[in-house]
Amino acid sequence: MSIDGQPTTGPDAAGTPAATSAPAPRRAVIVGGNRIPFARSGGAYAKSSNQDMLTAALDGLIARFGLQDERIGEVGAGAVLKHSRDFNLTREAVLGSALSPETPAYDLQQACATGLETVVGLSNKIKLGQIDSAIAGGVDSASDAPVVVSEGLREVILDLNRAKTLPQRLQILSRLRPKDLAPLAPGTAEPRTGLSMGEHQALTTAQWKISREAQDEVALNSHRNLAAAYEAGFFDDLLTPYRGLARDGNLRPDTSLEKLATLKPVFGRNLGADATMTAGNSTPLTDGASTVLLSSEEWADARDLPKLAAVVDAEAAAVDFVHGKDGLLMAPVFAVPRLLSRHGLTLDDFDFIEIHEAFAATVLSMLAAWEDEEFGRTRLGLPGAFGKIDRSKLNVNGSSLAAGHPFAATGGRIVASLAKTLHEKASTEGRPVRGLVSVCAAGGLGVAAILESL
Amino acid sequence: MTPVQPLILGEMPSLSKLYVNAAAQAARRRLLGTHDGSVLPAESHEVRGVTVDVGNLTAYQHLIGETASDVLPAGFIHAVAFPLAMSVMNRDDFPLPLLGMIHLRNVVEHRRPLLFTDTLVIAAHVENLRGHRSGTQVDLVAEVRRAPAEEIYWRGVSTYLAKGVFLPGIDKPTVAPARPEFTAPDPTALWQLGVDTGRAYAAVSGDFNPIHLSVLSAKALGMRRSIAHGMYLAARALADVGAVRGDSFTWEVDFEAPVFLPCRVALDISTVQEAAGAWERSDFVAWNPRSGRRHFSGSVAAL
Repeated sequence: MSIDGQPTTGPDAAGTPAATSAPAPRRAVIVGGNRIPFARSGGAYAKSSNQDMLTAALDGLIARFGLQDERIGEVGAGAVLKHSRDFNLTREAVLGSALSPETPAYDLQQACATGLETVVGLSNKIKLGQIDSAIAGGVDSASDAPVVVSEGLREVILDLNRAKTLPQRLQILSRLRPKDLAPLAPGTAEPRTGLSMGEHQALTTAQWKISREAQDEVALNSHRNLAAAYEAGFFDDLLTPYRGLARDGNLRPDTSLEKLATLKPVFGRNLGADATMTAGNSTPLTDGASTVLLSSEEWADARDLPKLAAVVDAEAAAVDFVHGKDGLLMAPVFAVPRLLSRHGLTLDDFDFIEIHEAFAATVLSMLAAWEDEEFGRTRLGLPGAFGKIDRSKLNVNGSSLAAGHPFAATGGRIVASLAKTLHEKASTEGRPVRGLVSVCAAGGLGVAAILESL
Repeated sequence: MTPVQPLILGEMPSLSKLYVNAAAQAARRRLLGTHDGSVLPAESHEVRGVTVDVGNLTAYQHLIGETASDVLPAGFIHAVAFPLAMSVMNRDDFPLPLLGMIHLRNVVEHRRPLLFTDTLVIAAHVENLRGHRSGTQVDLVAEVRRAPAEEIYWRGVSTYLAKGVFLPGIDKPTVAPARPEFTAPDPTALWQLGVDTGRAYAAVSGDFNPIHLSVLSAKALGMRRSIAHGMYLAARALADVGAVRGDSFTWEVDFEAPVFLPCRVALDISTVQEAAGAWERSDFVAWNPRSGRRHFSGSVAAL
């Protein structure tokens, strides 16, 4: 495959006129990122809305890169837990920010992969020459979550709207029952199975025989790596303090295997298998927002902005989890091999690998599947196991277990941090450095992307 | 045997009247002694020109977890045909007491899709009166055609048990069929069934049997709490199987332990594929996640 080559056969070769000419694909680069620290649900951001937090993250990015009054090509962001009034969440955040009000924006929603998918989609627009600059982002609030009225009340209100006469209205109102007045909070259960994400992962955890100790170790490393990154000042140019928080509220720098071992299992207690998943090795409900500045090389050069890494390629996958063929969060297990095979790469070709820690067991189940000979043969269509990851390359600056996971904001957090890590490593070693991102999502979805230093 | 002409009813019988009549019949038989026949009525009941209410259909589809398409779900057709089927068991010459009968098994052949705009011809009869180790069982057969065609689009066989009723001349099996020990697998779904599950299904199916409605009404009939409709549970399992079932399929369910409300029900659906990889059937089994007791099991298979 050639990035800038033209096909040797096609309309031109056949002598027919070419369609309207479009520029050949070019690079999309990551200039930098900005997020607000992630807060535990009900904490520092309890009263902040998704729009408040996204605007805060956006304004920090604008200040860092001098984008005041700049007309950005497009801003794309989203939230997973979204209020119906936020039908134009991203555009409203742009209007409330220091960007030019002539900056277009759109909302995107792909469960926990929302943030990464905005990076991918906007990068593609840059590569195609449709836009020169973009801001990708995501936000979620588990504290300020939308609460909806019951189906009974909702139907009565909608039917009342359609009623024309007073008797009709009275007849409709008479259908209302006291229980219809109780509001409904959003749940974390998968719509088609009724199992929560944690219960789904507990099934996968048992299937791959992931031990409690291995999970606690992943959690411990996440906290240690994130704490070390804060100590080293790694987040100084990736983060803007908000509402009194300067660090992620969930970070426990002093946690230990002993402390983690005392926590009681919270998922999988009804599943028959030994329950191993605790509040310590599962991500907590979190509030936060993140943004990533993307552009063409020319756009960054013209403004003398850094070019940390290129967005090389991405792949989405989905698994048939509904009747248990695969685990709910295992789609990246299929996305990554497909993505790497397209580029002739193996896991060994990456210097850094970021696997979103929905649960410690999610990461370990994925690694186990990739290391399994039979799974590689029968499910991935490979001669044997897909490969083994050198753990020292994995989530080197901490991940969701320590930082928290405001669903749509996680992709932007990972992409900005990884781009910076790749850039630093490439600068010190004087060679191109590659990174892999994997994010699993509700609905059996998963997205993976390759970043490469410039 | 000479074929018996069907009894054609002018309209769908009212279920509430049938329940009242069944209660009166039960009282009458208690006073005058049980019906002494061991023969089923040969006459079938038929209603023509049956149409469905699209609002009711949508409510059913949403409650069960089916997409609100224009095709009538197999379980919805069962609910539409149910009053007619009940009217056969409500006849004076039906030898078993209608009230308290237990739904043991249901088999549906969903041969061709019916749309909500179709006019239905529904026929019902009883057959296969036979012994059971704890009473007498009978099959209630409903057949649905699409007017004016003769072809059967949908056929349902519901097996009911009259517990403790033994009719002369019908032997009960001496050996109970061996039921293999049940070990709960890992669930693929978990249902949270609220205390209003029975009322919600009654509202969309029209089956206001008191044992499903509330704790009080169930207690009046000797149950400790209200129980979920079997066909509600089976229809949800069918909906969970999903689009893979296609337009025509068989749908079988065996009911075991009743589902007392409110409760959680764990479910496992496993797909069986043909050698070529095409879908052959989906087996389902549901149990109480706390006690491990099996509630029902069955399968949806390509027809």
